[in-house]
Amino acid sequence: MNLGVIGCNTMGLMHCQMAVNAGLKVVACGDISRDNARKAARKFGAEAVGDCFALCARDDVDVIAVCTPTPTHTDYIKAAAAAGKHIFCEKPLGRTLEKVDGALAAVEKAGVKLYVGHVLRFFQEFEAMKAQVDAGKLGTVGFVKTYRGGIFPGGKLGWFSDWNMSGGVTLDTIVHDMDWVRYVFGDPARIFAQNLKRVFSERIDYALVTMRMKSGVICNIVGTWAHPSGFRVKVDICGDKGMVTFDSSEAPVCAQLRQGAGAGPSTIVPGSPVLVSPYQLEWEDFAAWLAGKGEPRVTPEDGRWGVRMALGALESAEAGQPVEFN
Amino acid sequence: MAKIGVMSFAHMHALSYAACLNELAGAELAAIWDDDPRRGREQAAAHRTKFVENMDDFLALDMDGVIVASENVKHRAMVEKAAAAGKWILCEKPLAPTVEDCRAMVDACKKAGVGLGTAFPCRYIPSVMAVKEELDKGVYGEIYAASCTNNGQFPGGWFAKRELAGGGATMDHTVHVADLLRWMLNREFTRVYCENGNLLRPGIDVDDVGSLHMEMEGGVIVSHIASWNRAASFPTWGDVTLELIGEKGVVAVDAFNQKLHVYDDAAMKAAWNYWGGNPDLGLIKDFVAAVDEKRDPAATGVDGMKAVEVTVAAYKSASTHRMVPIG
Repeated sequence: MNLGVIGCNTMGLMHCQMAVNAGLKVVACGDISRDNARKAARKFGAEAVGDCFALCARDDVDVIAVCTPTPTHTDYIKAAAAAGKHIFCEKPLGRTLEKVDGALAAVEKAGVKLYVGHVLRFFQEFEAMKAQVDAGKLGTVGFVKTYRGGIFPGGKLGWFSDWNMSGGVTLDTIVHDMDWVRYVFGDPARIFAQNLKRVFSERIDYALVTMRMKSGVICNIVGTWAHPSGFRVKVDICGDKGMVTFDSSEAPVCAQLRQGAGAGPSTIVPGSPVLVSPYQLEWEDFAAWLAGKGEPRVTPEDGRWGVRMALGALESAEAGQPVEFN
Repeated sequence: MAKIGVMSFAHMHALSYAACLNELAGAELAAIWDDDPRRGREQAAAHRTKFVENMDDFLALDMDGVIVASENVKHRAMVEKAAAAGKWILCEKPLAPTVEDCRAMVDACKKAGVGLGTAFPCRYIPSVMAVKEELDKGVYGEIYAASCTNNGQFPGGWFAKRELAGGGATMDHTVHVADLLRWMLNREFTRVYCENGNLLRPGIDVDDVGSLHMEMEGGVIVSHIASWNRAASFPTWGDVTLELIGEKGVVAVDAFNQKLHVYDDAAMKAAWNYWGGNPDLGLIKDFVAAVDEKRDPAATGVDGMKAVEVTVAAYKSASTHRMVPIG
């Protein structure tokens, strides 16, 4: 399978490598910045393309990976589907439900496969927690709390600080947690959320979310882009027979680089190396689906639900009341 | 020497309060009364004081103040009796299950000219006091948001019986944090949304976990988990945590995270041994000083009522699925 990637910044480059590890070949690297496209193309022995819509139509491409800022995802999905290409799209699937539905209709009409990058479903620690739940170690689960985030994301393009593009920490970051709790505990009945959009211009966002699942399980999800440094993930899952907790600050590697004289203290960076990147596992799952082996762990409908939950949270925060999912 | 009595050992915190009274040089544990005479006699023996079986006889003793640590629904009647007897009062939290009861207790104490305090020992946790001081100095600038927890193991007994507790985990484990935020941020709560339920401890008629979202004056947003979600095998009783997001920085408090990890083969269960300062001692010291100085304790009856207003509104929200005003 030949891959064409659209968006050659951090995530695009990473996905190219993971796709290669999963057995795909990168043939075309597209970016509205020719420079970015050239750098990526050089790295993967591919062709640099400036017109990303033209890239979608290339004969030598079987799969398109969409790794661009959120609002552009659905336009590229539609173009790729129209050209009969299979698609990998970074999360969130789109910026609005209308756009997502348009893209899903195009995918269905074209009969192509769409995979959405809800990679948390492949993170080893989350797999381990799901295994505890599935094995009944906790009994019946009633409460889940997740915490995710740290420093406000930079990114070369600076688009994260544009609310209309990124949707803040809610749509960009804790959409991971919303997807994962739905994956493990089923569909939500309603969602309530608060956030710091009012001070978003200060490059601070903080989201406080509670989802009530149809099963009755209560999920509290906290997302932060409000910290001056670092990144941390914490999880509590509580049942009537036991509980599990996870905290990313409890890591096997703890590194500090010595700074030059007078440069002040360095940042402590915890590390948790794994044998296989969860992103590679995600690509292997997609590749297996493309090869007709089994069903994907993340379906297009899951991608739509991710957007639906995150936008529901934003709507709730705006209204100061919960949003029901019917 | 302030002579203080204890009314009821239904709440296990009374054990610690009695021990603190014995420890403090300026206080004397004068007597114990309990509506469960067997428990009262046992505790009187354990804390080297006398047990008085009749409540009126107990309140007629030469005694300056009382600590009320009965089941929640009994607080009001005991506080009203003690106030009428002219005693200074420290009442276990929550002050009462309803705002109406709280109001009556506050009014009764005012009428009797006695001080009323609510037992909010979390104000005396060293880490909380340190951060409160920094907040007052403006170290973190304006505070925008807070994410908090007061998780605990299942207390069982009357705590899980509606007719004695008046509510479940949402009531039991919201008031501490509600009080801390009001005190630390110097502002009132305005609205609350709550999802709660009986999800973890089968066979009880109250909620065991609540997820609350609150707003405070000035638009501060707050998430709070009030729960009995800690497994019986968890290494400690629970936690009090606060993460505050401010203009100039963030600060996280895990109030009881001064601990040893203890591995005792006899228990076959890992345990956390808290070695930090005893908050109850600060609470009781303040109450004794309030008795001596004829003033209200630092956390007043009104403070207790304000915290109850949050929980009462939270229950209303949980049954209507709407964010509702507080107070």
